[in-house]
Amino acid sequence: MRANPKDVFTGAYYIDGDVSSAYGAAAAGCKFIGGYPITPSTEAFEAFVRRAHQVGAISIQMEDELGSIASVIGASWAGKKAMTITSGPGFSLMMENIGLGAMLETPFVVLNIQRGGPSTGLPTLTGQADMMQSRWGSHGDYEIITIAPDSPQEMFDYTVKAFNLSEKYRCPVMIMSDECVGHMTEKVVIPSADKIEVEPRRFYKGDKDKYIPFPVDNLVPPMVKAGDGYKLHLTGLAHDEKGYPLLTQNSKVKTQNANTRRLVDKIRLNVDKIIELKEDGIDDAEIIVVSYGITSRVAIRGIEMARAKGIKVGSLRLVTVWPFPEKKITELANKVKAFVVPEINYGQIVFEVERCAYGKANIVLVPHGGGSVHNPDDIFHAIEYAAKERKNVDGIIEQKTNLYSLIFEKEYKLHG
Amino acid sequence: MSIITTCLTNAVKKSRIKKVCLVSDFLYQREIVDSLEFDTFHVTRGRPIAFGTGLKLANPELKVIALIGDLITLGGNHFMHAGRRNMDIVVICVNNFIYPKIAGNTTPTTKVPFSQYAPFERPINVPHMAKSSGAVYVARWTTLHNSELTESITQALQKSGFSVIEVMAPGGSYFAGIPSLKNESELLKFYYENSVIKNGEDTRNVEIIPDNKIIVGKFFEQERPTFLDSYNAQLSRVMGDKFKPYV
Repeated sequence: MRANPKDVFTGAYYIDGDVSSAYGAAAAGCKFIGGYPITPSTEAFEAFVRRAHQVGAISIQMEDELGSIASVIGASWAGKKAMTITSGPGFSLMMENIGLGAMLETPFVVLNIQRGGPSTGLPTLTGQADMMQSRWGSHGDYEIITIAPDSPQEMFDYTVKAFNLSEKYRCPVMIMSDECVGHMTEKVVIPSADKIEVEPRRFYKGDKDKYIPFPVDNLVPPMVKAGDGYKLHLTGLAHDEKGYPLLTQNSKVKTQNANTRRLVDKIRLNVDKIIELKEDGIDDAEIIVVSYGITSRVAIRGIEMARAKGIKVGSLRLVTVWPFPEKKITELANKVKAFVVPEINYGQIVFEVERCAYGKANIVLVPHGGGSVHNPDDIFHAIEYAAKERKNVDGIIEQKTNLYSLIFEKEYKLHG
Repeated sequence: MSIITTCLTNAVKKSRIKKVCLVSDFLYQREIVDSLEFDTFHVTRGRPIAFGTGLKLANPELKVIALIGDLITLGGNHFMHAGRRNMDIVVICVNNFIYPKIAGNTTPTTKVPFSQYAPFERPINVPHMAKSSGAVYVARWTTLHNSELTESITQALQKSGFSVIEVMAPGGSYFAGIPSLKNESELLKFYYENSVIKNGEDTRNVEIIPDNKIIVGKFFEQERPTFLDSYNAQLSRVMGDKFKPYV
């Protein structure tokens, strides 16, 4: 289906990533935002609030992030596409209800403009350290989709995509951007509505008495709206296909297994359709830089420097970080000498790369504590090092950055 | 619990409201859910009011009832802010002094003699908290007061705005160790002997104090614009004709 022309603010803009994402949400048909202001994501919330009345949407500043995410799940079940916007500390508060959203198979989008952590961390500066949290944040088994845009234009495009994926697979979708992309001002072109593909909410249209919310033979069934007389019962407890929790021990084991299997399988069986990657020069590459978000843009410079020195280096950019492109990494590991993984944390996605490489390629991590992006020199040096290093080095090789050597002149004592 | 459900069902029928959603934060038995003619949501602890806010705003035609079993421990903040905004939600606060499902641990509304090891903290005065948060309808009943409770819920449903009804409900069989309150009928008898109806009583005086009578009744009612009323009014004032009210 094409987007509704009323929802699309067609034109060329000079805006930041946050605002662009808000316009993307509007274009995707988002009609409800429950949020709580938090730097560096506030601009996105404000931009949506300003435009809400134009697209017939409503927004509310809830009392806290616990409330905003709960209201978003409620709004989604009332039949509206819904979204919440936050950053690190708020994201942590949302975890409990993200589990509820997954359990109730609710489509909604969470925009996390990452900042430095842990705790209050660096409110105004960048980080990429919530990547594992986006996947494993809430307790229990579930699968999630995470997208990492790297420019304001992509913030628009991938916010639309995030809504489409969440409607298609009925699961929470995280847009894991970061302060740099959120506050980066660039040209953003919003196309006309007929050029934007939008996945509409699929509603059940059959007999009211025969409605089964979670049928065993359909992993992504159509939804109903609350209050339409379907006598809907939804519970965060393990439930059977009608949505009811069961009481005896044996039936509990059975429903729990059927229940969580649904949540996991609807993503795992569709990974090929969900995953989007951007490749550059990987066909004859010896070294591959695996990156996502803002780091992938910084890496371009490092790769250019390495290519100028004659090193065969390619780039694999993870647009969807979760589900992780396991097959692709394994396939490449058989061909290349090493993966270089720069990320603005002390190693998160690098472990996934290592797991999928099965020891067939070296793994070089270029960590960064956050606050700024990498210096492209560091990525270049890591590529250079990876090209010289022998094959089959065990474990992850950490490439220290220039910043590291500036701060830690002497080796520090481990304790005492 | 079944008493409250009966009162609720009767009140919904009586008020003739069609689109009702019940949001609770505790397990509802299958038999009870099956007997209800509207949608039921069992969400995370303490979040029914926030969840209901989303339901209500996304579809203003809905009438949301939030049944809070966890009292106002988790989600006390949602309670206050929904009151402040005058969100159109009926809150039924089921007070059985303890958490019956988890072996009777104490809650913020625990009344001293009901616990084996008396808690030393002061219990929350729910009606007063509701009133000071900005609720438009505040009442308290026990499960003994069937007809009054049904009437109260009906009135609250017909009113738009944040309404709070506290219900003293027996968790009968869970009061092990308190010989006089072994079963539900004993507790009802206890309510009969220890409650007094005082409609219109100042909510400051209705605190539950050990050895004093439990004061029940319809304490307070007022008219205030709801969240959506204020939202539409404010934006119309600022933007004039450009703004189409959200309904």
